[in-house]
Amino acid sequence: MNQRLNLSAGPHVRDRWTTPFIMMIVLIALTPAAVIGVVVHWVKFQSLNALWIILASVGSAMLTELLFCLATRRKITIWDGSAAVTGLLLALCLSPQTPVVLPIVGSVFAILVVKCCFGGLGKNFINPALAARCFLLLSFSNGMTNYPGVNELGVDALSSATPVAMLKAGSMVNVTKMFLGTAGGVIGSSILALLVGGLVLWGLDVIHGEICFSVVGGFSLCLLLYRLFGGHGFDIGYVAAQLCSGGVIMGAFFMATDYTTSPVSRLGQFVYGCLIGVLGALFRILGKSADSFSYSIIIANLFTPLIDLYIVPKPYAYRKSAIEKAAGVVKPPLLKRIPKPVIALTIIAALAGVALSGVYSMTKDPIAAAELAKKRESFKVVCENAADFKDVDAAQKALDALEGGTYGGGKFGTTVIEEVYEAVDANGNTAGYVFSITNRNAYNPPLKLALGVDPDGKILKIAFIELNETPGKGSKADEPAFKDQFVGQTDTSAVDTMSGATVTSKAVLNAVNAGLDFFHNVIMEGGK
Amino acid sequence: MRDTFRGGVHPNERKELSRKAALRVFDAKGEMVFPLAQHIGKPARAIVKKGDPVLVGQRIAEADGFVSANVICSCSGTVKAVEKRRTISGAMQECVVVDNDGKYTETGDIYDQPMRVDLTREEILAAVKDAGIIGLGGAGFPTHVKLAPKDPLAIRYLIANGAECEPYITCNDQLMRGYANEIVEGMEIVLTLFPAAEGVIAIENNKPEAIAAMQKAAAGHKRIRVLGLRTKYPQGGERSLIKVIAGVDYPITKLPADVGCIVDNVGTIYAIQRAVVYHEPLFRHVMTVTGEAVKEPSNFIARDGTSFAELIEAAGGIKDGVEAKKIISGGPMMGIAVSTTEVPITKTTNAITVLASDPVEAADKKMTACLHCGRCTTVCPNGLMPQMMADAVAAGDFERYENKLYGLDCISCGSCTYICPAKRPLTQTFKQTKAEIMARKRAAQGGKK
Repeated sequence: MNQRLNLSAGPHVRDRWTTPFIMMIVLIALTPAAVIGVVVHWVKFQSLNALWIILASVGSAMLTELLFCLATRRKITIWDGSAAVTGLLLALCLSPQTPVVLPIVGSVFAILVVKCCFGGLGKNFINPALAARCFLLLSFSNGMTNYPGVNELGVDALSSATPVAMLKAGSMVNVTKMFLGTAGGVIGSSILALLVGGLVLWGLDVIHGEICFSVVGGFSLCLLLYRLFGGHGFDIGYVAAQLCSGGVIMGAFFMATDYTTSPVSRLGQFVYGCLIGVLGALFRILGKSADSFSYSIIIANLFTPLIDLYIVPKPYAYRKSAIEKAAGVVKPPLLKRIPKPVIALTIIAALAGVALSGVYSMTKDPIAAAELAKKRESFKVVCENAADFKDVDAAQKALDALEGGTYGGGKFGTTVIEEVYEAVDANGNTAGYVFSITNRNAYNPPLKLALGVDPDGKILKIAFIELNETPGKGSKADEPAFKDQFVGQTDTSAVDTMSGATVTSKAVLNAVNAGLDFFHNVIMEGGK
Repeated sequence: MRDTFRGGVHPNERKELSRKAALRVFDAKGEMVFPLAQHIGKPARAIVKKGDPVLVGQRIAEADGFVSANVICSCSGTVKAVEKRRTISGAMQECVVVDNDGKYTETGDIYDQPMRVDLTREEILAAVKDAGIIGLGGAGFPTHVKLAPKDPLAIRYLIANGAECEPYITCNDQLMRGYANEIVEGMEIVLTLFPAAEGVIAIENNKPEAIAAMQKAAAGHKRIRVLGLRTKYPQGGERSLIKVIAGVDYPITKLPADVGCIVDNVGTIYAIQRAVVYHEPLFRHVMTVTGEAVKEPSNFIARDGTSFAELIEAAGGIKDGVEAKKIISGGPMMGIAVSTTEVPITKTTNAITVLASDPVEAADKKMTACLHCGRCTTVCPNGLMPQMMADAVAAGDFERYENKLYGLDCISCGSCTYICPAKRPLTQTFKQTKAEIMARKRAAQGGKK
């Protein structure tokens, strides 16, 4: 018994969980979403770009950390797995059509600037993956907003809250597709896979329920109240669609719950989660950015040190309840401690809510009709003789088959035909067909226009619904000199492009050509 | 009633190594060493000198002051020296060293037969004090002080702690199985001091045999009941038990008696019974010798002053082909690693755990930066924020540590260090910080005078 014995202060045993183990669990939880993202993109576009993005992002994140450790002569920390998690998270919130160079740039930024320069694991002040995403959005907005088949299914259309699409019967179908992850958008857009992964993490106590559920809860409650008091009643479908879009679930379960950038105390975590949820909802309601949820998480990240400084729970023995108990104070049951006015107000509020939803459901159809009428008014601009608009069965079938994807398989760039109606004049005869079409290849997308075509295929008129082009250049598309050229044409060969605004011109031409193509190949063919 | 407290951890129990080993009396052969400071409080004063003959049960050092305890000789022989010897803590401490003649001749004061007499409160306290009884759970607080709170009528619960939540240790399990009636009798004696109290024997439910034995012994007692507790570390902590049984949390500045509770280890209760009924002072107690490196993990009734080496040998020695990596006095959560086996066991040594591999060594290699995962905050049995406390210590902000984070309320149970995935030495940091803050306070007070 003369050999050397190890000495150390207790405890002398340790739990099995280690940092790499936790990171591995997170990676595994993200895997279903990644796989679905890759497979969906491959099935739709026969492209493995999503896979290359994931590999490039994870690889460059780990490589950056390795090089930083070597350069600064630190302990090599890449095997703790946190760099891989950052890389995968970044990849999952990029579009599968993003050029592969962007995730590499983003990962380098995330690891080098946001993580390593602030002291490495556990020291970064905002979520590295989100910071990199926002960095890429601001620096490479063109490459970053290239989404496959995004219209009302994707991130941005919803955030601008165009309810027409929602009120149509198709809205529930869209939510289902978004839930499954086949609707397009970012690689990690399968809400089902993310939810499964997130709930597993919560079940294993890897992430804190205080954060993810208060994010989802705060966000939903805010939107629900907004809809309720905005006169739309108890609108679960709208909230569901919002929850399924724009990275809310990804943010709530995988981004907001990042240990380093979230508070430590339970109350602090709850406050932080609610802050994210409420900010996210406000940005959705008031703002236009498709990436508002990223920003709300980053803003809350910045509040974390403040929350941790001031929200410090007292040890059990110093809490009011414990002190009272030790002193032998007997409390009345919970219900009796709530003041009567509070109970009364709660009941009144609940009744008002029920009444409002009742009123809403009674006025729902008139409201829908009014909104449709408004929409029709705008279509009248491009088809002056129209008295009423009717659905076209063949067109509707074709649009449903596209699932909001690009029309023409890229022949017209990224162009989506959103709505098609048959215009009927006062006598009940066909006056023409109207289209709303969005093109995403403009200088500052989206570019959205209404197109009217007479039954013989002649263009009646075009009008812009959304045009964000450079003032003085692309914006000239809205001037008669350009747009009136289309009137009376059956094709666009005679239209002169605008000098100095070729990109915009091409976008408009693509949109109009797509409409004409749809008219000939779907409506006319289908009609016969 | 709840069966557990908030927080806590589930370390691998490893009690299966020794839980079936019945208690064996072990009489040491070699010299016996009795440190004068085996308890909390002032060290005892030696009343023997070199060359004096001593007998089993003879007092060899006397309590020096109110919070202090007698030291009793556990063998017969001659005093070899009163000198500094290495003890469990690693420090050199004043000890009485006795040359053991191996005959174990007793003083004659110890009764052969039980002689239960009705003693007054003062007589019971005197008997406990004379017997040198201290808390055998580990802290070693003199029991005669604990049993004499300001207002005995305010005591609502007398808790016999048989939880034994430390991994590996099984001696109290065996004690309760074998000496259930004696423990209940000890409870009866102590309950006479506290007329308003209810006796609760608290046992973790991983010891069904002990629970059954105690229930049988306590059957029919109006004032004593047995409570099964969920198996979770640190269930056997004084505070954890009070939380469950009295439902009260109290700050570190208060004593259990302030919230109407007295908590004594079942071993201590048994020692009180021996002292009152057999007039036998505390010179031997139950303990476990266990660990992956030990050939025959055993439960002993061992004599104070026996060396670690002899006890490990008594348990079959170290397994062939296995190296003892670490030897712990006590269990692996709160025990103290010793540098040599040539140290004596004291009254509070409830186990010798010999590990074949050192988890700390392995964990240190896996240490990463703090993730802020918050696992430490969920396991802290007192609701402290270990992660924030560690940050405050790193920032040198002792003010925040003490006043905002209540860092002095840490009971050093080790749960936070155990659970930490980044393998940070949290508990160890807090032990140091508490010592540093207390030292600064003492220095500040000294300066004023």
